[in-house]
Amino acid sequence: MFPGVVANNEVSLTLKPGEIHGLLGENGCGKSTLIKTLCGVHQPDHGKILRDGKEVSLTSPFSARNEGIATVFQEFSVVPTLSVAENIFLGVLPKKNGFIDWTKMYSDAKKVLAKINVRIDPEAIVGNLSVGDQQLVEISKAIAQNASLIILDEPTAALGLEEIQQLHRVIKDLKKQNAAIVYISHRLDEVVELVDCITILKDGCVTSDAQMTDIDISSIVNTMVGKVGEHYPKENNTQDEVVLEVRNISTSHGVKDVSFEVLKGEVFGLGGVLGSGRTEIAEALFGVKKLTSGLIKIKGKSVSFSNPQDAIKNNLGYVPENRKFDGLFFNFTGIENTSVADLKNVSKWSILDLQKEREEIRKLITKLKITPESESRFVSLLSGGNQQKIIIARWLFADAEILIFDEPTQGIDVGSKIAVYKLINELTSAGCSVILISSDHDELIAMSDRIGIVSHGTVVDILPPNQLDKVDLVKASTDEKKERIA
Amino acid sequence: MKKLFSSSITGPLLALLLVFLCVALTTDRFLSPGNLSNLFLQVSIVSIVAIGATFVILIGGIDLSPGSAIALLTVLFASSIKFVGVPLPVAILLVVAMGALLGLLNGVLVAYLRIPAFIATLAALSAFRGVAFGFNNGSPVFSIHPDLESIFYGTFLGAPLPLYYVIFLYGLSFMVLRYTAFGRSIYAVGGNPRAAELSGLNVKKIQMYCFVIAGIAAAIGAVLMAARLNSGSPNYGVGLELAAIAAAVVGGASLTGGRGNIINTALGAMTIVIVQNGLNLNAVPTSAQNVIVGAIIVIAVAIDIWRDDITSKIKGRFQSTKNVSKKNHH
Repeated sequence: MFPGVVANNEVSLTLKPGEIHGLLGENGCGKSTLIKTLCGVHQPDHGKILRDGKEVSLTSPFSARNEGIATVFQEFSVVPTLSVAENIFLGVLPKKNGFIDWTKMYSDAKKVLAKINVRIDPEAIVGNLSVGDQQLVEISKAIAQNASLIILDEPTAALGLEEIQQLHRVIKDLKKQNAAIVYISHRLDEVVELVDCITILKDGCVTSDAQMTDIDISSIVNTMVGKVGEHYPKENNTQDEVVLEVRNISTSHGVKDVSFEVLKGEVFGLGGVLGSGRTEIAEALFGVKKLTSGLIKIKGKSVSFSNPQDAIKNNLGYVPENRKFDGLFFNFTGIENTSVADLKNVSKWSILDLQKEREEIRKLITKLKITPESESRFVSLLSGGNQQKIIIARWLFADAEILIFDEPTQGIDVGSKIAVYKLINELTSAGCSVILISSDHDELIAMSDRIGIVSHGTVVDILPPNQLDKVDLVKASTDEKKERIA
Repeated sequence: MKKLFSSSITGPLLALLLVFLCVALTTDRFLSPGNLSNLFLQVSIVSIVAIGATFVILIGGIDLSPGSAIALLTVLFASSIKFVGVPLPVAILLVVAMGALLGLLNGVLVAYLRIPAFIATLAALSAFRGVAFGFNNGSPVFSIHPDLESIFYGTFLGAPLPLYYVIFLYGLSFMVLRYTAFGRSIYAVGGNPRAAELSGLNVKKIQMYCFVIAGIAAAIGAVLMAARLNSGSPNYGVGLELAAIAAAVVGGASLTGGRGNIINTALGAMTIVIVQNGLNLNAVPTSAQNVIVGAIIVIAVAIDIWRDDITSKIKGRFQSTKNVSKKNHH
């Protein structure tokens, strides 16, 4: 079924009604395969699936749905151009005389939404909703199908703090209504807060089942990856020299009057809620969006970027938030993915020296501890952590001195996260500067030397992390909410 | 690297052999020397136009205009020599430059004005032929130049000249795609335009250049077509764009962009032309031939889409049994 791997090996899992079951494990441990087996996408080579004690065969997503199993995937399957109600009843639209019964559909949708106590207009177009609300629509869809087993695959990956809290409340409601829930997330803090029991997978096998696993972060991390040492191995490498000076920059896409400076070897964090404008600031710095006013200076020299090319020439690098859509070339191996931002480095008069390319990048692959398979394999076949490191290698290859990391650890496992932190340390100790954007507040506070709090597209405050804790960041976000309402 | 360029030459090669066998078995005239040399001359034009189709498909685009561009360019070529008195070599350069210009027009529409490639080149398909009919009251121009036919029918060291053109142009394209930064950028833009932009590539310029290359390829095809019949006509090149696209796709180029191999396109061109030749020899009417070429494109695209599923299934079965047995040893 899967090229070169046994994705699941003798996995046993027992799910009970009214229980939230956490499913954890590093990337590539077989979680996704297990879920896809449960929702009928893949079939087990051997072994049985029992539903209420009876053996069932889930030959397709459709048959799984008939068994009351619903899955909310990382990538949503809502149709953005349709209304909330249409999405909820997609495929089973209520009909009268062969035509859609709109009145019934809207009132039924209202009932479904009321079941999980969320206030979303059933007539609203899904594409206009926030990401969090879209997710709730997805869950409502599952409820409308009378699902009694709901699988949530990384539901919070794209959510802001408040939306996460709302989602958790909804999940707890479902639990009270006696649904069985499987919850998958890389954010251990929220898992620990939410679930009733945990199963940990490693290399396709259950290493620790629901009875064995203590719901405690450090013991979970130890089971998942073995001894990791320090979770946040922060080094302070800040020097005095100012390498990047941002003065009152604005763009037409939401950056307003932003000013800050970044020192050599510093990790400058940008904190704030989703949609506060952090990514937009990064895009403005990297020449993706043009400045309407303001000034950027690199090492004291004023620069103006009309595209990313100019930014790269000035030794900037950008590790984008969404590596699948914005970062990786799935038609390339690791080598071609790495060299792409600086082909001049391995060419003479525009003719590529393939031998040199291979050798130079092999060095980086070794240095960053990327799997050697990345040399000859398409990046689509590599784990999330390796993929992320390939993109970081790309900027090292292009001699970037100021690196923007936008959510560098989102969706990658604990082991790879720590590897990314160590890389940040190596970069800063080699004199590079890092701008770190992260929604993981623990990570942001632990890894940054200074943090700019972003709200409404502007940096409202710059603080050292020891004068800041999670509460401040949350507060910044709630302030924003209030203002938005007012 | 290996995967990008040697990506499954076996499929297109098998398709070619299969078609070759089928046609050879259904008609004995197929293998006659006269037919084979005619066949080759036919392949030469299609395969050169298919180079352009491949470049455009590699960036995730499509070019429907080369057939019409060829009609316009043959008419322009013929008129410039016959009515204006432009010397032959200059006229060839002029036509190539015109072809580049037509490609540039498509490229600007697609890359900079963001008109979907399908629509922009569909409009060009209509417009180029329209302009072609504006010359010489829409009549063909015959007997362009006494030396012209030797460009197409001449031989060198016993081999027909078009063979050298094809080898040279394919060699050049192969080198560009494999060994230049520009070639690599084409694959990058086709694979993920957004990531290409964030990696500092000038995506629009690269897309535009690929259309310019397609225009130049069409112009070379136009010169050969004019030389073949020593005439220019607004009716030339009908359906050639489909044959060229089919050649690229049968050669395994992915219509989603970023995957494809120019050498396989040559195999694809041979396959398509042999199919057409075989249908001609078996007296299949033109209308049915068009249906068959259409069907071939659909089948080739279907294979492209299903390919990953099929290979992963085969490989997976093979490798997972290997892994299981390894695990049992522990």
